[in-house]
Amino acid sequence: MAKQAILARPGGLMVTAGLSIILFYVALAVLAPILAPYGPTEVSVPKELAGRPQPPSPEHPFGTNELGYDVLSRIVWGSRVVVQVVALSAVLSMAVGVPLGLVSGYYGGPVDRVLSLVMDSVYAFPGILLAIAVASVLGPSVGNAAISLMVVYVPTYFRMVRARVLELKARPLMESLWTAGLPDHWIILKHILPNVAPTILVVFGLASADAILTEAGLSFFGLVVVYPEADWGLDLYYGKNWLLSGAWWLTLFPGLAITSFAAGFALLGEGLARMMGEERWS
Amino acid sequence: MAQKFNARLAIAAAVVLIIILAAGFYLFAGQGGEQAAQAPTVVIGVTDSVTELDPATSYDFFTWEVLSNVMAGLVTYDPDTGEIVGDLATGWEAREGGKVWVFTLRPDAKFADGTPCTAQDVVRSIKRVMTIGGDPSWLVTEFVEDVRAIDDYTVEFRLKQPVGYFLAVVATIPYHPVHPNYPDNEPAPDATWGGCGPYKISEFKRGEYIVLEPNPYYYGEKPKNGKVIIKFYESSQALRAALEAGDIDVAWRTLNPADIRDLQDRGYNVKEAPGLFIRYIVVKVDAPPTDRKEVRQALAAAIDRQELADRVFQGTMEPLYSMVPSGLWAHYPAFKDKYGEGANIDLAVQLLRSVGYDENNKLKVELWYTPTHYGDTEAQLAAVIKEQWEATGLIEVTLKSSEWGQYVEQLSQGQFMLSLLGWYPDYLDPDNFLTPFLLSTANTWTGTGYVNPQVDELLQQAMTETDQETRAQLYKQVQEILAEDVPYIPLLQGKLYVVLGPNVVNVEISPLQFLIYSSIEVTG
Amino acid sequence: MGSLARYIALRAALIVPSVLILYTIVFVVLRVIPGDPVLAVLGTKSVPPEELERIRERLGLDKPLYQQYIEYLMGVLRLDFGESMVYTGRPVWNDIADRFPATLELAVFGFLASVVLGLASGVAAVKGRGPIRALANFYAVTGYTLFIPWIGLILIYVFAVNPILPFRLPVGGRISPEVGLREVTGLYIVDSIITGNIPALIDVLAHLVLPSVTLGIVLGSAYARLVRSHLREVLASEIVAGYRARGIPEILLLRHALRNTMVPIVTYMGLQFAILLGGAVLTETTFSWPGLGTLLLERIELRDYTAIQGVVIFFAFMIGLVSLVVDVIYALLDPRIRY
Repeated sequence: MAKQAILARPGGLMVTAGLSIILFYVALAVLAPILAPYGPTEVSVPKELAGRPQPPSPEHPFGTNELGYDVLSRIVWGSRVVVQVVALSAVLSMAVGVPLGLVSGYYGGPVDRVLSLVMDSVYAFPGILLAIAVASVLGPSVGNAAISLMVVYVPTYFRMVRARVLELKARPLMESLWTAGLPDHWIILKHILPNVAPTILVVFGLASADAILTEAGLSFFGLVVVYPEADWGLDLYYGKNWLLSGAWWLTLFPGLAITSFAAGFALLGEGLARMMGEERWS
Repeated sequence: MAQKFNARLAIAAAVVLIIILAAGFYLFAGQGGEQAAQAPTVVIGVTDSVTELDPATSYDFFTWEVLSNVMAGLVTYDPDTGEIVGDLATGWEAREGGKVWVFTLRPDAKFADGTPCTAQDVVRSIKRVMTIGGDPSWLVTEFVEDVRAIDDYTVEFRLKQPVGYFLAVVATIPYHPVHPNYPDNEPAPDATWGGCGPYKISEFKRGEYIVLEPNPYYYGEKPKNGKVIIKFYESSQALRAALEAGDIDVAWRTLNPADIRDLQDRGYNVKEAPGLFIRYIVVKVDAPPTDRKEVRQALAAAIDRQELADRVFQGTMEPLYSMVPSGLWAHYPAFKDKYGEGANIDLAVQLLRSVGYDENNKLKVELWYTPTHYGDTEAQLAAVIKEQWEATGLIEVTLKSSEWGQYVEQLSQGQFMLSLLGWYPDYLDPDNFLTPFLLSTANTWTGTGYVNPQVDELLQQAMTETDQETRAQLYKQVQEILAEDVPYIPLLQGKLYVVLGPNVVNVEISPLQFLIYSSIEVTG
Repeated sequence: MGSLARYIALRAALIVPSVLILYTIVFVVLRVIPGDPVLAVLGTKSVPPEELERIRERLGLDKPLYQQYIEYLMGVLRLDFGESMVYTGRPVWNDIADRFPATLELAVFGFLASVVLGLASGVAAVKGRGPIRALANFYAVTGYTLFIPWIGLILIYVFAVNPILPFRLPVGGRISPEVGLREVTGLYIVDSIITGNIPALIDVLAHLVLPSVTLGIVLGSAYARLVRSHLREVLASEIVAGYRARGIPEILLLRHALRNTMVPIVTYMGLQFAILLGGAVLTETTFSWPGLGTLLLERIELRDYTAIQGVVIFFAFMIGLVSLVVDVIYALLDPRIRY
C-alpha cells in the first residue's frame, strides 16, 4: 500500500494524530534533561516568593508551585514516569496475557475454563481498585506500578486474544492444517499469531489509554513515585489543594498532560480498529 | 420491547432534566428556603468523621470532641485559664499520697431524658470501659486499680500507684459517664443516648452528618444556639467550597494551610488558637550512621524550622524546640539553646567533619514519611527538610514513603533511620509529651531504640511527684538531655484555625483543643 | 423457556466461583501487606504492647490464617460479614447497608447522564454539521480519557466556586440535613418521593448534579461511539434508503435508527457497571460522596480486614448479579441468542 495513502484510509488521520501525540511525549521523556528549563526540584523563584504558587510568566510559562518548582519542567520530567510505567506495563501484560490467551483458546478444556473464570472475575472488578490494592502491597515505585497495572490489563489481552483464537479455530483452514498433521506450536506461531497480531495492536492502543488513566489514579493516591519526584498524577493531587485559592495552573496543566497522552493512545487504538474495518463500539 | 424501553428511557431522561432545572430555580430563588424562627442553627463542617459514639471504644480526636460536647466528665478545663476545674465533681481530694482519689458529685446532673446521673453511673461507665477493653481502655487500666461508689454522690478511685497528674487523666473521655442504656459488656458504636453534657444527639447519619440539640436538663449554662449540625467532608477543598457556598457557618478541622491563608485573604474571619499538636523526626539511635551522637546533632542543627513553617505550612505552624509544646507549663526550648534558632550550618558541618564525613564521603541518610495521614503537606515537608540537610554539602538524603497502615508497622519494628511523625496528647500533662518517647519501657513503638537510665529515673520521679515546681525542674533536665542525645528532632507545633462564615459572632476552643459547640453564636 | 431457566441457573452458579476468587485474592493481598488494623489505629499511641496483643486476640487475629479465611467465608454464607476491626462492635453489613444506596444512586444517575450525553453526541457525530460534528466525533473517541478528579475539579470551579450560572450547585455530600428527610430505603430520591418531601427531593437532586455529570461526561463517550456506529450502519442500510426514496422525513428515519441502538446500549450497561463502580471511587473522593468506594479507600488505610473483605465480596456479587440480569434481558430481547 502506498505510503501517502495512510491519511486517506479510514482511521488514517486518527492513527497519525495519535502517533504524533505519543511520539511527542516519548520525545519529552527521552530529551527531558535537554528540554526542561529547570530541574524538577529546583527552587526557580526567589526564596521569598516560595511558599505561594506563582502564576505563569515569561520565565515560567506554566507557573510555579508553592515550593518554587517550575510546573512546565515538572511536566517534562514527569513524562518519564508515565512513559516508563505505561510501556513497561504494556510489555508485561502482553507477555503474560497473549501467550495465555493463545494457549488457552487453542487447547480449550478444563484449564481454559478455570483460566477464563479467573480472568473474567478480575476483568469484571473495577480496575482502579484492584490496582490500588496491589500497588499498596508493593509500595511506590515505577516497577511496582507497572506490575499493578499488569494485573489489571492481563485479562484484557487474554480475553481479546482468546476470543480471536476461537474465531480462527472455527475457520475451515484449521481443519486442513490439523489433517495435515502439523504440530500445534507451528500452527499457533505461523497461523494463529499473525492473524491475532492486529487485534493485539488495537488492544494495545485502547488498553494503554486506559492504563494511563489508571496510572494517574495510582499516582494521584501517591502509589507510583515519592514526592518531590515529578509525576503528573501526584502534581495534580497536590495542585488541587490550590485550585480554590485561584492557582488554576497547578491543576490545569498536569491534568491536560494526562488526558492528552491518554487521548493519543485512544486515537491510535480507534484509528487502527477502523483501518482493520472492525469499528469498535465498546 | 425495544421500542417501549426507548420511550420510557426518553421520558425518564426528560423528567430528570426538568427536575434538575427546577432544583436550580429553587436554589436560585429560595437560597435555602425558610429559616427556622427559634434559636438559630449552627452548621459546622469538618473533614473528620465520627467513628464510634461510645467512650469505651472511640479513640480519635474528632469523636472525642463530639463526645466532650455531649457528655460531661468529673473535671474539665477552664477555657479561659486552662486550669482544671470541677464539672460533674464539685470537689475532690487525693489521699495516701495520690494513690486514692475521692470525688464529690453535684446532685443536679441529669441525662438528656431526665434520668439523674449519679456516682453509680460514673462507676458503671468506667467499669464498662475496663470490661469492654476497647482501644482507649488503657487510659483507665494503666492507672486505676478499682473504682467504687461510696454513696450516690461520692466516687472513690484506688490507683495502681500514686499518679501526680491523675486529674488530667480523669478529664479524658473514657472517664465520662454514659446513659444507663449503654449495655454493660458490649460496645455501642451507633448509640445516641449520650451523657449529661450540654447537648444530646438527635440524629446521626454515619459518614454524612450528626445533629445535636441542647440537653434540656443540662445543669450548666444554656448553649448559645438552638441546634448544631456537623457535616463531614471528604477533603479540605470540599470543606472550604462548602463555606464559600454558604452551606456551613463554621469550617473547622482540617483545612489545608493554603486554604486557611487564602480564606483569610478573602476577608473571612479566621480565629487562631495555640495548638498542642507537635511534629518531629524519630531518629534511630541503635544503628549506623545515626548511632553516632554527632551525626544526630548535626541533623538537628541543620534544620531551619521557620522556613518549614513558612514555606510548607504558610505560617500555620510554629517552630518547636522541645517535645513539650510551648504553652504547656514545663516547656523548655532546649534545641534553641543548644543549636540556635535558624539553620546552624557551620555547627552541622563541624560536627560531621569531626566524625569523618566530607564532600567525597557524604553522610547518606534515608528520611521516611507517610503521604496522607498528616495532611497533604507531608511530601512537601519532607522535600524541604531534604533541601535543608543537603544545604550542608555533606549530607545526601533519600526520601521514602509508605502509606499509613504499613508505615506504622515499619516504624514499630525500627525499620526507619529517620521518620516524620506527629503527636496529639491523650491528656494534658508534660508527662504525655515525654514519657511515651523517652522512657525506655514505653518508647518501643517509635522504633528509636533510645535507652537512657538517667532519663528513665527522672521521668519516674516526675510521675509520682505532686509538686508542680519540682516536676518542672525534673522535666527541664529531661529536655536538656533530649537536645544532647537527639533521639527525636522536634520540628513544629500546630496552631488551630476556625474559619467563620459572615454570620458567626463567637467561637471558643477548649484547652483540650476541642471546639466548644455551646459557645458558637450566630446572628439570625 | 425451559432452556432459558437452565441458562439463568447456570449463569447464577457462575457468580459463586468469581466471588470466591476475588475473596481469595483480597484475603491474600491483605495479609501480605505489612501492618494490621490494631497498629493502624493504635500504632502511634503509647499503648502498652500487651494491650495490643489482647486486642489482636479479641479480633481473632492470633488464629492461623486458614482458620481466619474459612471462618470469614462461613460467616458470609450466613450473610454475616463480620464486625469491623477498627470500629469496635460495628457489623460490616451496617457499613455496606449505609453506603451502598449512595453508590447505587450515583451509579444510576451517572448512567443516565452518560446515556443522555452519549445519545446527543452520538447523533451529533452523524447528523451534525461542521465544528459540532467534529467535536462530537472527537468526544466519542477521546471522552473517556478525561481524568475524573480533574474534570470534577473543573466542574466544581465553574459551577460552585465561581458559578457561571445564577446559582451555586452543592459540591459535596448527598443531602443537606436541614431538609429533614425521613430515611426509608436509603435511596434518598426514593425516600423523598414516598415521604412526599419536595424540598428534600430538590436538595438531593441538586447534590447529584455535579457528580453524575462528571461520571456522565467520562462514561458517555462509550455510548456516543455505540450510537454513532449503529446510526451510521442503519442510515446507510437499504431499508432506510428505500424509506428515504419514499420521502419519509429524516427525523423519522433517525427515530427508527435510534430505536435499534437500544439493544446494544442495554448490553453495554452490564459491562459498564464495573467501570461505573470504579469511576465512582474517584468521583466519590472528589465530591465527598459517602459511598462504598470512599469506604473502601478509608478502610484500606486502616487495614480493616473484615470491612475490606466484605465490601469486595459485595462488589463482586453485585457485578455478577448485574451482568446476569443484563444477559437475561439480552437473551429476551434478542431471540437469536441460543445457549
